[in-house]
Amino acid sequence: MKVKNKILDKSFLKKILSSKGAYLLLLPGMGLFFTFILFPLIYSLRMSFYKWNIVDIAASKFVGFSNYVRVINDPIFIRAALNTIVYALITVPGQILFALIVAILVDQKIKGRTFFRVAYYIPVISSWVIVTFLFEYLFGSQAGLVNFILKDILHLVDNKIVWLANPILVMIPLNLLGIWKGVGWSAVILLAALQNIPPDLYEAAVIDGAGIWHKITKITLPLLRPTLVFLVVVLTIGGFNVYISGLLMTKGGNPLNLSHFILTLMYKKTFTYLDFGYGSAISYLLTAFIFMVSVIQIKLLRRKVEY
Amino acid sequence: MLITKEERMFRIIAYILLICGVVITLIPFIYMISASFKSQIYTFEYPPRLIPRDPTLENYIKALGKDLFGRNFLNSLFVATATTISTIFISSLMAYAFSRMRFPGKEVFFYILLLGMMIPPVMLIIPQFVIAKNLHLLDSLWGLIVVYVSITLSMQTFLLRSFFETIPRELEEAVLVDGGNRWVIFRKIILPLSKPGLAVVAIFTFLYAWDEFPWAHVAIKEASRRTLPVAIALFQSQYLTQWGLLFAATTVASIPVIIVFVIFQRYFIQGLITSGLK
Amino acid sequence: MVIMLIISITFIFGCKKEVTEEVTEETQAVEEVTEEEETTVEEVTVTYWHTMGDAEEVALNKVIEIFEEQYPNIKIETTRMAYDDFKPALLTGIAGGVVPDTARLDIIWVPELAEMGALVALDEEMEGFDEIIANTYPGPTSTNFWKGHYYGLPQNTCTQILVWNKQMFEEAGLSGPPETIDEFVEDAAVLSNPDEEIYGYAMGGTYFWAPASIFYAMGGEVTDSGITTATGYINGEKSVAAYQVLVDMYRDGSLSPLLLGGGGMGVFEGLATGKYAMIIEGPWAQSILNSDYPDFEVNFALVPRGPDVTTSSVVGGENVVIFEGSQNKDEAMVWAKFLLSEESQLTMGEAGVMPTLSTVQGNERLPEYYDVFMEQLKTAKARVPHPKWAEMDNAINNAYQYMLRDEKTVQQALDDAAEEISGLIIEE
Repeated sequence: MKVKNKILDKSFLKKILSSKGAYLLLLPGMGLFFTFILFPLIYSLRMSFYKWNIVDIAASKFVGFSNYVRVINDPIFIRAALNTIVYALITVPGQILFALIVAILVDQKIKGRTFFRVAYYIPVISSWVIVTFLFEYLFGSQAGLVNFILKDILHLVDNKIVWLANPILVMIPLNLLGIWKGVGWSAVILLAALQNIPPDLYEAAVIDGAGIWHKITKITLPLLRPTLVFLVVVLTIGGFNVYISGLLMTKGGNPLNLSHFILTLMYKKTFTYLDFGYGSAISYLLTAFIFMVSVIQIKLLRRKVEY
Repeated sequence: MLITKEERMFRIIAYILLICGVVITLIPFIYMISASFKSQIYTFEYPPRLIPRDPTLENYIKALGKDLFGRNFLNSLFVATATTISTIFISSLMAYAFSRMRFPGKEVFFYILLLGMMIPPVMLIIPQFVIAKNLHLLDSLWGLIVVYVSITLSMQTFLLRSFFETIPRELEEAVLVDGGNRWVIFRKIILPLSKPGLAVVAIFTFLYAWDEFPWAHVAIKEASRRTLPVAIALFQSQYLTQWGLLFAATTVASIPVIIVFVIFQRYFIQGLITSGLK
Repeated sequence: MVIMLIISITFIFGCKKEVTEEVTEETQAVEEVTEEEETTVEEVTVTYWHTMGDAEEVALNKVIEIFEEQYPNIKIETTRMAYDDFKPALLTGIAGGVVPDTARLDIIWVPELAEMGALVALDEEMEGFDEIIANTYPGPTSTNFWKGHYYGLPQNTCTQILVWNKQMFEEAGLSGPPETIDEFVEDAAVLSNPDEEIYGYAMGGTYFWAPASIFYAMGGEVTDSGITTATGYINGEKSVAAYQVLVDMYRDGSLSPLLLGGGGMGVFEGLATGKYAMIIEGPWAQSILNSDYPDFEVNFALVPRGPDVTTSSVVGGENVVIFEGSQNKDEAMVWAKFLLSEESQLTMGEAGVMPTLSTVQGNERLPEYYDVFMEQLKTAKARVPHPKWAEMDNAINNAYQYMLRDEKTVQQALDDAAEEISGLIIEE
């Protein structure tokens, strides 16, 4: 009722008309978005309610919520969800923390800034496939550098640790990989944000006798807040969407389907087992979950910054 | 400007930490480059050697010499560049609207856009393929660009909007008071001040379009129109992975992205200079 | 600004390339049309997707040349796909209605694609089908069979046999490779020295393909021949005995822990460097060992016989299929049939891809080492040709893991697998 009244209200119409500039700006982007993101999303939603047949779509059998019910009751999914959540909980703070350190350090007037920026960015530009393989190699039980260091150099362990065959230990290289690969990405963003902090603020602080620690905690961090919020939201999304590294390193959740992430499980169900509706249901649950978490994060962490 | 003792200490420590960090960060990459100069036999020797025993250029010669590698490289360059330019254009328009304008449905549109960022791309491939086919966007580099822009739009718009938010509104109000219109504001204030933000968008979009594989593999079948990641994936066959070639090709493939990064990261400094001008 | 200029130039340059390409294509099309008008024969293009490696692709192009000479009105257009992403790309294509006319698929995928209705039933549609399969090995051919029809032709095949390190055998005082499973177990024990990470036998993983050769050699079965149940088969006496042998070898230290994963020394590396005395691998072993370890002498032998005096192994390979969505089915069939001609099989065979045509066995064009493999093929068995095979494989894989990790006994693990697999079959 309210909506209908709202639409018929003249002043509302006026608002829309006067906003035509805004709509014009949005048009190209939203057009593309609707076509290639929103519509497929809805298509995918539809798929999740069927036992979907890709050859003869009309022959797909409607199953209602049963795909979703199966997903939630699947112990493999629950384990995958757990692995994924832990992954996000470890890699998000990890990336932000290290990125912050790197960004602040690099922002100092040190020689070779460009070199450092490029160096830290290299993991970001490497393909997931290659870096996953490199980490597999590093943690390999036979020729891996990590075991070499732990056993033959530091003598911390007696036998080579078989990281990748253990459903819990394999999470270590995977999480480290996630942090390692993402630090540069966040550092680039934080560096850009640091540029927007007026230097007079720092100068004023110095005049007031403030030291470096004080400058960082009382000026830098608060002013970086919007960016930090942005990073938390985006990195969390990325964390939940962890996929290729898991797919390659665990080779489909091995051993015993215990090392899946949500998306690697979705991949297996969709493309290996050809259960398209089920795979869609998994992705939807994931998307819904991510959406909820992001909204909560934004609402909680967002506050106007005052100078 | 006087450098205090404390600051000098801090800088030295910073330097040391950064160097350590760089070493850790780059070890896998250094290993890869080193392996690209090794023949297949030495790829997995133990204990692992950083400096190749018998360095050879054969991997590079073979990889780059593969017919169509150069073509695939150029295809990727074209796609990545076009995607970046289009995305910067479209997303800055949208980001401006979200940041500075009020209009009915703003929150709704924004959250829908946000949703786009959260969706795992792999989930949408099948429907996207169906749509792309109906729009005749398959097997063409332009089709690739259209889809890439669509996919990365959410993130880049969100990013730019965050950057726009940090630009003080007083500047624009001053222009409005002086009789300028929104377009002037956009050109003379927002764009220059958000150079760091735009630079970041450029870097990330280029990277995304350059490295993208699953969609490129499915959408383009004609060998001469393929992009680089697909070409590199073909160094792996079912039973054999030619690691040397793979690493060599990947090293070469990394160069344009690094160049783009080096070019655009300069704008961070420029942003610093301009933002000082009130 | 300069950067924008550079970018714009690349942009325009790239644009131009596309335009030039289109123009050239158009000119070609015009030329083709003119040619067509002259000869008044309709030219059809048959698309063929595959995941061949470099050497195979070269051979494939030779085959295409010969084919196009024989059939001037049919052009073959190949697309090489990346192996790891082939299935998703194929499925996406099917979902979008963009399918190739033909493709070379892993044999395992045929039943599931057939069940979906994506493939053409060749026994019905293809003329001369029966004559062709009369000459192909039964194992590979059977992988095309589902619910009463054949949905593909076996294009190339492979099987796994024993690859043994002669030097290690001689040093241990053994005269030759084991011929029975009992000898196999004994020899492996003699050849092992776990403290020095030397093992008599190594396999690459716990997925069913790895132990399959020994499994079948010992008379193991996954399901009954009609594929109605797994109970009594995968957990039957012989299957259990087969896995028991392997688990015991693992406990004794004669089977390398490599199979549990974790990046241990690869099978080929181990074999060539004296760490593994025996592995069971396919024909690719020859080219891999030759290229990576040129000094190593490659020796093949048949899989050791099980207690019932049978040798056996597992069948792998690829089948060529025709898609229901194809617009050129007749021409596609001509191409598919040609791939099973002697000429094509021999040409591909020279490049390291084993033929499925029994009539070319022993042909001098084929590499010598094929002989042992093709001998083994006579008794090799296919895995279960069922749409749910991937899940069944997973169940068996898990069972093997449980056994090795001592979380279940062999019988228990296989009982659970039997239940799961039977459940999968019934779901149909």
